[in-house]
Amino acid sequence: MTAPTAPPQQQEDVARPNFTGWVRRAANAMAVPAGSVIFAILIGAVIFAISGNDPVLAYQAMACGGFGLFCFGGETPALQIANTIFFLTPLILAGLSVAFAFRAGLFNIGVQGQLIVGAILSAIVGIRLGNWPAIVLIPLVLLVGIIGGAAWAGIAGVLKAMTGAHEVVTTIMLNYIAYNLLKFLVVNGPMQAPNSSAISLPVSQNAQLPTFIPADSTFFGQPGGVYHVDWGLLIALAGAVIFFFIMRRMALGYEIRAVGQSQRAARYAGVSVRRTIIVTMLISGAFAGLTGAIMISGGSLHYLYADLANDSTGFDGIAVALLGLNSAIGVVLSAILFGALHAGGSVMQSDAQISSRIVQILQAVILFSLAANFLRSLKLRLPGPGRKVAEASGEEAVQNEFQAEVSSAATDIEGKA
Amino acid sequence: MNFILQLLHLFVSGDFWQLALRNAALLSLPALGGVICERSGVVNIAMEGMMLTGAFFAVVAAQAWHNAFFAVLVAAIASGLMALIHAVVSIRFHADQIISGIAINIGAIGLTTFLNAKLTNFQGLPQVDPAARLPQVTIPLLSSIPFFGEVLFQQNIMVYVAIALLVLGNVLLFRTRLGLRLRAVGEHPQAADTAGINVYRLRYGAVIMSGLLSGLSGAFLSIGIAYIFNDNMTGGRGYIALAAMIFGKWTPWGAFGACVIFGLGDALAASSGTLNVTQYFYILQMAPYILVLIVLAGLVGRSTPPAADGVPYIPEAE
Repeated sequence: MTAPTAPPQQQEDVARPNFTGWVRRAANAMAVPAGSVIFAILIGAVIFAISGNDPVLAYQAMACGGFGLFCFGGETPALQIANTIFFLTPLILAGLSVAFAFRAGLFNIGVQGQLIVGAILSAIVGIRLGNWPAIVLIPLVLLVGIIGGAAWAGIAGVLKAMTGAHEVVTTIMLNYIAYNLLKFLVVNGPMQAPNSSAISLPVSQNAQLPTFIPADSTFFGQPGGVYHVDWGLLIALAGAVIFFFIMRRMALGYEIRAVGQSQRAARYAGVSVRRTIIVTMLISGAFAGLTGAIMISGGSLHYLYADLANDSTGFDGIAVALLGLNSAIGVVLSAILFGALHAGGSVMQSDAQISSRIVQILQAVILFSLAANFLRSLKLRLPGPGRKVAEASGEEAVQNEFQAEVSSAATDIEGKA
Repeated sequence: MNFILQLLHLFVSGDFWQLALRNAALLSLPALGGVICERSGVVNIAMEGMMLTGAFFAVVAAQAWHNAFFAVLVAAIASGLMALIHAVVSIRFHADQIISGIAINIGAIGLTTFLNAKLTNFQGLPQVDPAARLPQVTIPLLSSIPFFGEVLFQQNIMVYVAIALLVLGNVLLFRTRLGLRLRAVGEHPQAADTAGINVYRLRYGAVIMSGLLSGLSGAFLSIGIAYIFNDNMTGGRGYIALAAMIFGKWTPWGAFGACVIFGLGDALAASSGTLNVTQYFYILQMAPYILVLIVLAGLVGRSTPPAADGVPYIPEAE
């Protein structure tokens, strides 16, 4: 089983990194995902119509819930946007986690487990060291979350590198171990809060991320406390920048991409495949652990709960990464879309009485259309997101990457001179 | 000490192994489907979604006709259609098979919960009528053998079906010309094509077969075990089957071995009440997953998929 790879770069564009070239490349990269989204919206309209609902009303409600536009049920647009941000923040980090591993050809299906381990450690520190000052405690809470997620994914990385154990099996196993660890701790376990069931104590105020809208203020006619928009968003965006930096500006990123294209060719190029696999899983897990940390330190709950084991953030991250074509910018954009769909679905259910689960059907259609690249079948000549077809071209691909890299570096130098 | 004695007592009780075998059979159906599918060179991580589809349509059909046989048939067809989508997208459109698989898994949750809400006006489907449940079948004479009789011959009908299909699947894959061709298509489609084998037809067949088998398992879960449909009731069993398939190195009996480990774990968890270890219930539940990790790290090691697994086949002429 091989993981999807990023679309091949168009070499002539890489050689001329001017503005029009950049725009053209962005447009090329966006065309297939954007087309898939439009296709899904059309299919969704058909589904609404068949099931006896008004598609316009349904999409109006969804636009309201997702982006605060065209509201008709008395919603506060600002609050709807805040809800979308609340949903998309963890999705960015979970998507980055999956995408990072995909770039090395590894399928990290265990983001949910890594996220839970991160959340557990963050909660322990946030509760136990609750009287530490926020300026120390918040970074510490985030750090232990990162360490927890990285360690959990690292187990799979080490097993893969040392014994060849398939990462899909090991990360699924680690998921279930994490679910049960969580339940052991919070369901009648050592971390369960007194006089409650299946939840822990909340982390102290000092461990909670600052929010943009103070709880005691009034914002667009609503009390500030209902807006759960906090620094988690900035942390997630910073994560995307770090992802981009590692992939595009560091030797490590080059090694990861080389291993993802062809392990054999990477080995010839002097890359330690084992080391790269372990480091990739550690960083992928770090993103997942950070997701868990901001779900505890930020968001609305601030405590561990047993249902986190049934939460789908980690799995949604797979869809986010795939739609984002495993790039940092793509992950942010697709997390915005999925967050808006998620938030929009609940408004649609309350305003138009249509099950919000139709959102998942739309997500599935987006992915099908992305994978099958129906657009290409319409003979529009666009670069596809599909994996490289022939395995034999692996070495060639790395060679091309080399050339692209060298030529872009050369142009950079020319530009500066 | 007392705990160890109780555990030993549990391990020699027929009830415990009966439950373990039932759970193993439940997982082995999608695992077998995955083996067949991936042996033909199409990656399948969509057993979860196909199982869920089967579980839902089995209950819908049971509600309509009060007949377990029709319910299973409808479940298999519904899951087979889900598999057909995966087949068309990955074989005809040369799609990325992991994306397609994830889409099936997400789509199946959406489809089943949406229809469940739509059909019942958010009430949820009712319990399965006793007439439409998959029956327990006690085999005369054999079932009176002490211990083994209870474990092997007093089971749900679907357990026998699952074991029979495992035997058949193994024979098909490794003892027939069709199986040889299927594996050839999964290892080296170009060579198979040159030898006159229809690559596409075999791959379509294998993917649809994985859907039918996952559908049987879904029906077993909803109308043979739980007697009700709950949203997302498969709860990751399809992913466990996926892990079993890889753990078993893409062979039916290897996958079944892994399913037995998971089945024992489930049975152990179900028995935690009698063990008086409610406090450590969840620690106990980790056991099968930890065991699989250890075995994977120490004994099994590298599992190499079929060479052309996940690679869309595009004939030279195209």
